[in-house]
Amino acid sequence: MSYRDSLPASCPPDAAEEIAAPRAVFRLVRTNPPTPDDFLSQRQENPSKVFSGVTECQVCGLSVFADKHDAVAKAQKLQHLKNRKICRVTLNAGAGRIQPTFQPSHHTWWPLAAFDILAHCGVETA
Amino acid sequence: MKTIRHTTTLFYYDGPQVFEARDTIGGHYVAVMVEPENGSDRYLVAGVAPERLRQFRAGTLDLRSLLSEAGAEEWYLAAVVAGLDQPLALVPQTAPLAGSGLLPDEGFLLHDRPTEELALREARERNNLVFEIAAEPPEAAAEHRIHVGTLIGLLGHVQTMIKHAYGAALRELSPDDRRAIDKTDAHMMDVIIPAATGSFRVVLEAAKTPDMLGQSELARALQRVDVLFENAADPAKALATVKAHRGHLAGAYLRLLRFLVKHKTGLRYSWAEPNFTKPNYRAVGEAEAGPLVEVLSGVSNLGGESVTLVGEFDKMNRSTGAWGLLTEDGLQSGKVREGGPSLDGLKAGGRYKFACVEEIEEVEGTGREIRTLYLNEHEPA
Repeated sequence: MSYRDSLPASCPPDAAEEIAAPRAVFRLVRTNPPTPDDFLSQRQENPSKVFSGVTECQVCGLSVFADKHDAVAKAQKLQHLKNRKICRVTLNAGAGRIQPTFQPSHHTWWPLAAFDILAHCGVETA
Repeated sequence: MKTIRHTTTLFYYDGPQVFEARDTIGGHYVAVMVEPENGSDRYLVAGVAPERLRQFRAGTLDLRSLLSEAGAEEWYLAAVVAGLDQPLALVPQTAPLAGSGLLPDEGFLLHDRPTEELALREARERNNLVFEIAAEPPEAAAEHRIHVGTLIGLLGHVQTMIKHAYGAALRELSPDDRRAIDKTDAHMMDVIIPAATGSFRVVLEAAKTPDMLGQSELARALQRVDVLFENAADPAKALATVKAHRGHLAGAYLRLLRFLVKHKTGLRYSWAEPNFTKPNYRAVGEAEAGPLVEVLSGVSNLGGESVTLVGEFDKMNRSTGAWGLLTEDGLQSGKVREGGPSLDGLKAGGRYKFACVEEIEEVEGTGREIRTLYLNEHEPA
């Protein structure tokens, strides 16, 4: 079982749940249909950037919302995210591990390499 | 040039989108990410009044309103050059903020459902874990009153129980996870509202701020405490639960229950972290505490914890049964109970392994604990 991203030691943390049953999460994407670029971790997007205020494990994961409402009523209201589209990703066994982080509904997802994200996602229309 | 420092991330999505910051003289600021420039993250920043910031944290004021009123006079842009753990230089802007196109849309509320529940409301407003306890001793029946000794004892017992709950929770973590967290004083709480209205209620806050994920170490302890209080109304179930948590935590729980019985009061508590949707709530009534004490007092050695020491035998006192063992952590002292193993034949300077039980007794009324190691077995090491 290998993760898509190269992760630091003890990442994902023990508290992260292994995804065993189907569940939907929501991510903001730039295009419809989404492309692999929409699912890059911060570390993949910025290989040499120094991140602070977050752990290296965190920047190797993907931000997703458990509740679509939080993507609409919060993230999409911000100036630089307002043109993004909301993509529903259906996670199931083999998708990796996930953990609630930061505010309610926000989760960090560490996908497994074998999980085909694009085959499990679709942009939601309003 | 004015600078600010990031203090708390309020909204995260692939990076801190909205965060709080303070300037060098303690002024409050809110920063919101806008389009990056030249590959650097950029934030719109405005100084905010503490009361308006509190309302925003509580979910009763939207982000655009907060920034608009604060930025009507002054607003800034800040580019992140060396990371958010470094001071951010603020560049004052002269154009009106309202026409900048950088403000968030209306309706961004940090919490969709403002709460009336005290613990959760305070947790959100303070952006930290909050723990509320309520007691109803006889003196509080007719007016807002509590004996000093009852209040001090109650707070002391609760803090001690949480300390042991945290210790027990840490022992279940892997060594790597234990090393990764800052455990210093993580179990400590501060009183923030010494006498809230209602029954005699005290509100406490984690003395340490949450980690970068917004989670408090104290939550580990309180989750354990919740388990102990889960079956307070059913002594048989409670017995099984407390036995499963045998050790200093169970001992501290029993001492708290005895205190409640002695002072003729029940105890209710609730606690919340800022990201909770409702607080965790538990209670033990005055009428429930007595049967619990009775059933738990019948368990032998409920509060003892096994401790194994290895070191050089240092001293013994035949008349008192006292002994000393010089270990890597320094000189450890203990006792032999009547009928316990004999220390005869142990050589001063010889290396031994001592299997002990550590027990804790409370100095009545002070909350101070006395730890005693009782030797069960010894063998050459």
